Parts: sequence; C-alpha cells; structure tokens
Amino acid sequence: MEFDKKSLLKLGKLARISISENKLNNLSKDLNSILEFVDQLKEIKTDQVDPTSNSLNQKLEVRDDKVDNKNSTEDVLENAPEKEMDFFVVPKVIE
Amino acid sequence: MRDSHTLKSLAVLLENKKISSKEVTSEYLKNIESGKELNCYNTISQEKALIDAEKSDERRKSQNLRSKYDGIPIGIKDLFCTKGVATTASSRILSNFIPNYESTVTQKCGEAGMISLGKLNCDEFAMGSTNKTSFFGSVKNPWKSLNSDNELVPGGSSGGSAAAVSGDLCVASLGTDTGGSIRQPASFTGTVGLKPSYGRVSRWGIVAFASSLDQAGPITKTVEDAAIFLDIISGHDEKDSTSSVNPKENYYENLNPDIKGMKIGIPKEFRSDKLPASTQKSWDECADLLKTNGAEILDISLPHTMSALPAYYIIAPAEASSNLARYDGVRYGLRVKGNDLIDMYEKTRSEGFGDEVKRRILIGTYVLSSGYYDAYYIKAQKIRSLIKSDYVEAFKKVDAILTPSTPSTAFEIANEPSDPVQNYLNDIFTVPVNLAGLPGISIPFANDENNLPIGLQLITNSFEEQKLLNVARNIEETISYSETPEKWWLK
Repeated sequence: MEFDKKSLLKLGKLARISISENKLNNLSKDLNSILEFVDQLKEIKTDQVDPTSNSLNQKLEVRDDKVDNKNSTEDVLENAPEKEMDFFVVPKVIE
Repeated sequence: MRDSHTLKSLAVLLENKKISSKEVTSEYLKNIESGKELNCYNTISQEKALIDAEKSDERRKSQNLRSKYDGIPIGIKDLFCTKGVATTASSRILSNFIPNYESTVTQKCGEAGMISLGKLNCDEFAMGSTNKTSFFGSVKNPWKSLNSDNELVPGGSSGGSAAAVSGDLCVASLGTDTGGSIRQPASFTGTVGLKPSYGRVSRWGIVAFASSLDQAGPITKTVEDAAIFLDIISGHDEKDSTSSVNPKENYYENLNPDIKGMKIGIPKEFRSDKLPASTQKSWDECADLLKTNGAEILDISLPHTMSALPAYYIIAPAEASSNLARYDGVRYGLRVKGNDLIDMYEKTRSEGFGDEVKRRILIGTYVLSSGYYDAYYIKAQKIRSLIKSDYVEAFKKVDAILTPSTPSTAFEIANEPSDPVQNYLNDIFTVPVNLAGLPGISIPFANDENNLPIGLQLITNSFEEQKLLNVARNIEETISYSETPEKWWLK
C-alpha cells in the first residue's frame, strides 16, 4: 500500500484533519517513508504469538460506584471555547 | 565539583538555615530570566513560586514541614496538568488551556512542599526527540561543541526539563517518557533521567500520548536525587487503574551502591559499527568498571531489539490517534470556525496540530483502520510480546543490562534530518524498554572529543527500581562525573 493523493485525503477525513493541496506531496512522501520502515515487521513470524496490549500484569480494579461532587458543571465548562447556560455550543448539526 | 544545588544538598542548606526557600527560589527565577535564550520555560510562575516559597519558609519556622524537600524549586514538563497554570503540551491546540485540576504527580510534589517555578517546554504532545516540534520553538542545549558556536538540540521530548536542570534553571524537573523522552534528553545534556516501570507512577492528569507506554519520571543532577524524587512521585493511585498496587520502596533510604556478585548483561544487538567510537569506549569502560567493583559481566542476546522501533511506530501513533481524538474544538482548547460541525473539527485540528503530530495521527488512524488493523496494529502487539519475552529471558540470567542511551551525542539544531524516520532512530536504544514496561535510567558517563556528554543506560526488571538505582549509584560514585556546560547565554 502506498499513500497517494486520494488515499491521503480519505485518511484525513477519517482523522478529521483537513489536508491542504500544497502539503499533500510532502506528507505522502513522509508517510510512505514511515510505512516502508514499519513494513520490515512483515518478515517476522508471529503466528504462534499472542499480542500484548499492556505490559502490566495486573487485574484492573473496579472502583466503588459512589456519587461524588467532583467535576461540577462550572468546572467542566470553564475552558469551553463557546458556551451558553449549561451547554457547549457547536455549529448546527440538524439539517 | 558542581557548585549548583541538588535536592540532597539544598535540603541540608534549608535545614541548617543557610538559605531560605524564598532566597533560593528568587535565585532560580533570576537564572530563568538570564537563561531566557535557552527557551526552557513555556510558562514562568514567578509570583506563585515566590508566594509558595514564603509559605514554605513559614512552615519551616513553625516546624510544620511537609517533607525534607519543602521549599525546593523544581520545573514541570508542560504536559502535567496544573490547577490554574496554563498546560499546553507545547501545542497550539492547547495554548489557551488552564486546567482546573492537578495531576497526581504534581499534587504529590506540592504535598512534599516543592515549589513549581513553571512549565517546561517539550516536543508537541511529547512527540519528538529534538524539541523542535514545540509550538513555542526549540529549546537550546546548554552544551556547545568545542569546535563550533552552533546551537545544539537538547533532545526530546522532555528537552526543556533536561536543559533546565543542566543549565541550573531549576534544581530538578519532571519529565515523561513514552519511547525515550526522559532518557534521551538526559543523555544529551549530561543529566540523570529515570523512566520508572510502567505503573510505578500515576499517569492521572498527564496529557496522554500513548497510554500503554507513557510514564512520568524525574530528571536530576545525580542518581541520589533521582531516588529522592522517585520516592516523592511514585505509588499507587486509585485515579489511574494502570498504576501498580505493588508497594513502593524507600529508594533513597535503601540506596546501596554495593554490586558485588551482581550480573550485568551486555546485549550484542545494541552493538553497531555506526556507534561513535567515544560512545563505544564509554560503554566498554563502564562494563570494566562494574567488573572491577565486583559485578560479573555477561554477553547476552535480546534477539528482537531491531524490531522494537518499527513496532513502536505502529503502537504509539495508534494510541496517539485515539487519545488525540478529544481535541475537537468543542470542550476546551482552540476552536477554528467552520461551515458545519465536521468542517469545524477538521479546521481546528488542521490548524491546531503541528506537522509531526498530524503525521502520527494519520499513521495511527491508518494502522487502526478497517483492513489494516491485523496487518499492522495486532502484528506490532505480537512483536511487543516477543520483545517482552526477550527481556524476561535475559533477566533470568542477569540483574541489570548496560547499553548506550543514544546512538549519538547532541547534534546541531540546524542539522535535524528532514526525513521523520531518520529522527526516529534517536530512540533506538530507549524504545524497547517502554514496550516491555521496564525501568531504565540514563546517567552521564564521560564527555566525547567535542566535550559533549555521553549517556549510558541501565535497565532492570519491572519494579526493580531499587536495583537500577543501586547500580547507577555505584557508577556515579566511582566516576564522579562533574562536567558542567559553560554558561554561554550569560555572556
């Protein structure tokens, strides 16, 4: 697989990053270089190997399901770029 | 000898009333001011630091100290959320972000009475190994080559944290390490950088990059200081479900440089013709020194070493693309207006993130996308298992592993390679340690022919930080590395 203009724009859509026309060439060069580098792993046999997602051998603890008063509405909204009453404001999403 | 302060030496001076916290904090604030050219700090907390220092002096007067290290000024990588103080991750997208909560690690520093001088520059979202990806510009290495006046990279991503300790712009600092981001800059600046085992230190409140690899740790002038600082920041945290329930040890109190009978492994896969002769020489000399001090040196093999870096550049971007999905211009950070919601997301993220961060998000999105997930992401996780079992096998035979920290000493800012993969090679010796979740430390060993620091890395098994620090202390005690950079920025 090689990143061409079309696949790069699709990837940008998936990642929600707009990619301007003048950056496409350099970006595809960089990403192809990275992909070529990681592709060397294909030569290693891993049929009998289980994947490791996390190096810690520890059971995840479950916390008590208790209500606390952390994260007030005020705190949560404090850094909002745009807010109104107790809400984040976003561009209209209903047609 | 170093005339600058360490955590250990300053604690004694404060205890004996030779200096007050306010005096020493002012001293460092002055150093920060005169060292502005190094670009170490994104935010300087001048007022707050002085108020906190006064409070510390009052606590000392009333014999109500929070710890022995109450009143000591430190620097904090701009990746730790600090209540009421801007936390930017050196990114445009967070450049206006002021958290209303405190990370567990910085909370612990505060509970020990430490004074924060401000937030230290780093690569954007900790992605980089030169500090050049920061939205606020490169940090400059306090060191310069003998033969050139050109500015050098401090390494990264904790470049500001390392340069600030090396240049005396703080006594010690906090960094984070996902693939080498504490150890590599420590190596480039002649400082000690400790990455604890995954889970030893809470990640809560640290801006996430790759959650299964990220770990916070100290950058200090000495191994003793690293032990002291780890005592302060480590331990289980119920807010981080991946923080270990293993009880923490008293690393400093139990520091014991006796290494008689220990076995130290030298992995053959880390050997390379490309390694500078001076680095190879330091590595050999260090092995000889450990042998003289009573350890046994063994050649070992870590067969999958060369697969670590490519596996890392699948796993880390994959996790990053997921973690960084939260920056959408809705709840905090930058928002760039768009025609509709999707347009707003795309414009915000396009303008808010720098090139390297975008590259990693795109690669991460790709390796997680339908049709490529098994071929890349699962494959890399399988390689991760192989790397981990290499180390499991090795630690059946040896107590610790000795390697170089980096494939070169610090290089010129202007000479950074334009190919991202060439840059990734900076972390070739440090990345396997993160994938395996092990603790690693970089300590300065000698300077090369250009008078630039050479760092060596020690690695031990998971949660064997005490052993790691003991071996590092043995080396430190024997060589007493005492080189300091000439403070060219004061001229």
